[in-house]
Amino acid sequence: MSRRTYAAVGTIALIVAVALIAASLIGARGGGPAAQAEQLSVNDASTLLRGIPQSGPSLGRPTAPVTLVEFADPQCPYCAQWSQQAFPELVRDYVRPGKVRVVFAGLAFIGPDSDEALRFAFAAGRQGKLWEVVDLLYANQGAENSDWVSEDFLREVGDAVPGLDVERALRETSSPEVESELAAAKDLQARLGVDSTPAFAAARKGGKLSPVQITSLDAGGIRPSLDGLLAR
Amino acid sequence: MTDRRLRLAVGVLSAAGAAVAGYLVYARYTDTTLACATGGCETVQRSDYALIAGIPVAVLGLGAYLVLLATAFSTSEIARVVGAVVAGSGTLFAAYLLYAQIVVIDAVCQWCVASDVLIFLLAVTCVLRLRSG
Repeated sequence: MSRRTYAAVGTIALIVAVALIAASLIGARGGGPAAQAEQLSVNDASTLLRGIPQSGPSLGRPTAPVTLVEFADPQCPYCAQWSQQAFPELVRDYVRPGKVRVVFAGLAFIGPDSDEALRFAFAAGRQGKLWEVVDLLYANQGAENSDWVSEDFLREVGDAVPGLDVERALRETSSPEVESELAAAKDLQARLGVDSTPAFAAARKGGKLSPVQITSLDAGGIRPSLDGLLAR
Repeated sequence: MTDRRLRLAVGVLSAAGAAVAGYLVYARYTDTTLACATGGCETVQRSDYALIAGIPVAVLGLGAYLVLLATAFSTSEIARVVGAVVAGSGTLFAAYLLYAQIVVIDAVCQWCVASDVLIFLLAVTCVLRLRSG
């Protein structure tokens, strides 16, 4: 083959490679949706929750004998602590084996950032991804009401959740379904007299929810209550 | 080396590359966690560098390996030229992605490294094919 052919092959390969690299750099630096995703603190919620049924704010098998409701505010630091310390163990020992179903009752106690974050979480719940989003919100929690829950931030969070249609979730943050989830959580909070987060209520399937007092922010703080209900 | 042997090498290497890229594509679209001894596969696959203009790099890689596989079945000059262009540009782009993994993302995906090695070997083989023509 001639020297000209070699030169042509080399030139074309170089042009193609430069074009690919330029396109990649534009995506990485141009403020694209996932521009800062790698800076997010990413827990391994997707792995933790893989294969567990999710429907809206509910995590776990619908047939689970016990339902646990978690009242939480995405801006509440103790909720984040509970999510990081107790939740993985709770999922492993109670939710995955089908003993307990957990329902997220998101409350915007702290301020507008809570509301924005909750709306996105409930919208992700319409795609069966609420718990992954909540986990990421806690893992990347900002200072209270510092406008940390921007649309860009929510895009980054959403991009870090495999399988989530982020644009759809953002569109649905004001949908009637999301409004209804927010209202339902608020009604339940009023009914049970919840005035702080994290707070919990639990019941046997079909039974009436009663408040559950936790003794610590690790899994040991809630185990006795769950074991007691399961033993009934 | 004869063109027949080089074509065989291109066929084997590109089939292996297609299997690696295919696994990454499968994992991406089925939300499957990657088997990962290096621990950084998910981080790399979730990074901005895993997409080009909204297209997963793994999909582009799969396409490139399939094109290379197709060139292994032809003895024509055009197949040798296409093979060399695809494998050459693929190697340069793979080098850039390897740099991004080590320096920018600070995580290494073993599947990407395996693909880097395969595309480099393919580039060498495809250039040898050019010479054999």
